[in-house]
Amino acid sequence: MKCSEEIVRYMHQYLDHDIEEEDEVVLRHHLKTCTACSQHFHDLEKAVALVQSTSHIEAPADFTASIMKALPQEKKSVTANR
Amino acid sequence: METIVKNRIKQVKKGDQNAFAEIVDLYKDKIYQLCYRMLGNSHEAEDIAQEAFIRAYMNIHTYDMDRKFSTWLYRIATNLSIDRIRKKKPDYYLDAEVAGTEGLTMYSQIASDTELPEDQVETMELQETIQREILKLPDKYRSVIVLKYIDELSLIEISQILDLPIGTVKTRIHRGREALRKQLKDL
Repeated sequence: MKCSEEIVRYMHQYLDHDIEEEDEVVLRHHLKTCTACSQHFHDLEKAVALVQSTSHIEAPADFTASIMKALPQEKKSVTANR
Repeated sequence: METIVKNRIKQVKKGDQNAFAEIVDLYKDKIYQLCYRMLGNSHEAEDIAQEAFIRAYMNIHTYDMDRKFSTWLYRIATNLSIDRIRKKKPDYYLDAEVAGTEGLTMYSQIASDTELPEDQVETMELQETIQREILKLPDKYRSVIVLKYIDELSLIEISQILDLPIGTVKTRIHRGREALRKQLKDL
């Protein structure tokens, strides 16, 4: 039981907040009645949640200092005016 | 935030390096994270993230003040990451030995560093698994997925960062997300 590609496209448009209102109605109605598509949508949401759960890493502590060391020398006039 | 950033950039354009340090502090976590998700190891991520900031500094005169600074900076970092992916051998660092620690790989170092509570170990294993699955995506899908989910960037911003038509960005996000669905559904 393979549903139309259109429904899957709506799922992605929905996830991107890029869906027309009437298409969203069609999608919601379909998800209520089709187990396969409902599972598909659930798995998509799960994949997104898992990827988002990794989004909390920080740059190393000395990151800014190392970059500043690597930059060419500052213009003398600016240093003098500060 | 953009106003503060633009004032700092005016100072940077005049040669003020302290103003640039503030810019780095503002964006370093996002840029490092972008590079880490694209490349999959901290050593390379740090290298490329630093390179991105240095290039931004050296080319600050080419930045158009009418555009969003973060878009310009993300673009530099994304391009450098993709260049690195295309040059490097697959999984070069994954099992590389850590200097001065014979037989100890990055993985074992992370796992045995300190004794972690079990749930923390599980969280780390899960994060590593997700990261490995992201790395399996071809770079054209990986870049859109990473940009979309590290900073909730809009489709328009992603299309500006990658210099691609918005329709292409949408298609790539859809395909990348489908690939991740298949890879991650049994987790």
